Amino acid sequence: MKRRWWVPYAFLALPLTMYVIWVIIPIFQTIIFSFTDWDGVSPTYHFIGFENYKEIFSDPYFMLSLKNNIKWLLAFVFLSVPAGLGVATLLDQKFPGGKVYKTMMYLPMTLSFVVIGQIWSWILEPKYGALNTFLRAVGLSSLAKPWLSDPGVVTYALIAAASWRQIAYAMVLFLAGLKNVPRDLVEAAYVDGANSWQRFWYVILPLLRPAMVIAITVSVIDSLRAFDIVYVLTRGGPFYSSSVLANYMYIQSFHNYRMGFGASIAVIQFLITFGFILLYLLNVFKREEKF
Amino acid sequence: MRKFLIVLMVVLALFVFAKQKIVLNSYASDPAPKKALAELVKMFEEKYPDYEVVVNTFAHEDFKTLLRTWLNSPDAPDVVTWFAGERMRYFASKGLLEPLDDIFTDKSFDSYFPAAFKSSCEYEGKIYFLPQSWYWWGVYYRRSVFEKYGLKTPKTWEEFLKVCEILKNNGITPIAIGTKYLWTAAGWFDYLNMRINGLEFHKKLTAGEIPYTDPCVKKVFDYWKVLVEKGYFLENHPSYSWQEAASFLFRGEAGMYLMGQFIKDVAPEEVKNDLDFFRFPIIDEKVGLYEDTPIDGFMIPAKAKHKEAAKFFLKFIASKEAQEFYAKSLGRLAANKNVPAPDAHAEKGLKMILASDGVMQFYDRDTNPEMATVGMNGFVEFMVYPSNIDKILENLEKARERIFKK
Repeated sequence: MKRRWWVPYAFLALPLTMYVIWVIIPIFQTIIFSFTDWDGVSPTYHFIGFENYKEIFSDPYFMLSLKNNIKWLLAFVFLSVPAGLGVATLLDQKFPGGKVYKTMMYLPMTLSFVVIGQIWSWILEPKYGALNTFLRAVGLSSLAKPWLSDPGVVTYALIAAASWRQIAYAMVLFLAGLKNVPRDLVEAAYVDGANSWQRFWYVILPLLRPAMVIAITVSVIDSLRAFDIVYVLTRGGPFYSSSVLANYMYIQSFHNYRMGFGASIAVIQFLITFGFILLYLLNVFKREEKF
Repeated sequence: MRKFLIVLMVVLALFVFAKQKIVLNSYASDPAPKKALAELVKMFEEKYPDYEVVVNTFAHEDFKTLLRTWLNSPDAPDVVTWFAGERMRYFASKGLLEPLDDIFTDKSFDSYFPAAFKSSCEYEGKIYFLPQSWYWWGVYYRRSVFEKYGLKTPKTWEEFLKVCEILKNNGITPIAIGTKYLWTAAGWFDYLNMRINGLEFHKKLTAGEIPYTDPCVKKVFDYWKVLVEKGYFLENHPSYSWQEAASFLFRGEAGMYLMGQFIKDVAPEEVKNDLDFFRFPIIDEKVGLYEDTPIDGFMIPAKAKHKEAAKFFLKFIASKEAQEFYAKSLGRLAANKNVPAPDAHAEKGLKMILASDGVMQFYDRDTNPEMATVGMNGFVEFMVYPSNIDKILENLEKARERIFKK
């Protein structure tokens, strides 16, 4: 039978066209805008070469936002992912009420970031908020802080709020992964006399590798595109101390009417994210070749 | 035959002109102004049943970022709420607004509004802004709280500091402020600068003609610093919106709040009549008394679909009856000069303004929008880290040079 080579392309035509119109073209438009002084309001703009990029690298608030993004990334990868793994391993055991716990842990995933932001704004409110009230009640009033207005802690407060959801996300990925771990392998290790820690470390964890790669990649990407929680809780304030790249880009483009400058921040953010995605894809391709 | 034609035309007219639609996007998201606007629209629709006004209300802070998008969209709303001065002029200068001079063909602008308003409503000789109401800024306090501690409203800076000290000694936060959305801090900058350096200086500074590193500007922060370092401002103010901070004043946990008259919009009923204000204290006898008097109103986007209907609606908004109704429901001052002050509180505000030596709008309405964001961020940073002031002013100066160079 003659192979109709065009069939897959015919099926792909519609989604590809949409992808090009709404994703690929805007990416190039953004790159073009990043070389202009467009304010997002005027019908015209001028090309100003690398001026925006030059300004970015001498802009202390950009650097601050970048640093905050790195904090988000480290926290997501080294805290949320292991925490998600821990919770998943615990909940994978069969015990009474396990389903209830699973649902409770999963609940934050069903909320949008805006709702999560609103909830945490009540928890973190300095005077009457739940967290400070609790700390005072248990005699730890010295730890009570203005979580959202102290420039030293505000980023960590935001990361904590975001992690609430991120841990649930990682947990779901690992729970799915654990379902794919063959029981007989674990039992065989048990018969061979491996204790529970050895079973986890030498049998389960290596088998969770695909889930781990996805969880880490998703966390990295999520940490780089963090925006909603920051915008709802602090708008990057006080005075940019909790700003992240996406938030700073938004403020510059839409509050300060500097679309060109905002676009150049977006381009840099895009390049960073793209780097991580590339690493992920390389990893995937390498594994596919093996099989 | 002729009869038939007339009937046909009437039917057609009814069909075509059945309810002219006007889309109005509004930032009046606090309950009181939202209700007042809704009632005003109802009044209009009852008087002119051929028109239908669809009001879309947006959260105040979101509205400020969304407007830009609407003005550029081919599906622009017909009428939008906005602020007079630079914030209007920014959009007018980009050709995004419809001139409103048609509204004033039979009756001039001056016959509706005080002549002094005109400069805030026009750009290059054309009117783009229809003023609805205006208000004054003052230091708001609760009469009962002042009475309790035997305090008199301060007239001078020294008296003001004394009041702060007494309040603080009694465990009350002297000055409420919520700087989450930055602009409240600009009120302090405006008033201190106007009281210390005067109106001309403030005008030039907001117009970008004076460097932020000027020693006179530094002096403003020297005065401000005293309040910050003595801990007179509400703790953790960057956590609060202006409304959240106001509740400290309403509960009697804070003594004073430099705020516009609209603070009354969010005050609970039982506190409303206890609220009063005094003029920002005099710092330098030789400097005149200048005040912030922002004007709020409406604009028509250049891309609006129903411009004629929108203008018809705005003409109604300018009328004495509409202005009187709105002023009365909110206790603000009507822009229409034929409307008297709606109540004793407003009468007091009007008197204060009439006795002043000159007025501005507000920092973020008097200066370029981008400069305003940078500036207000700097003010809030100063209020948290007063010792950073030199670095902050250098930053502002760098921004000023870049922004006003264009």
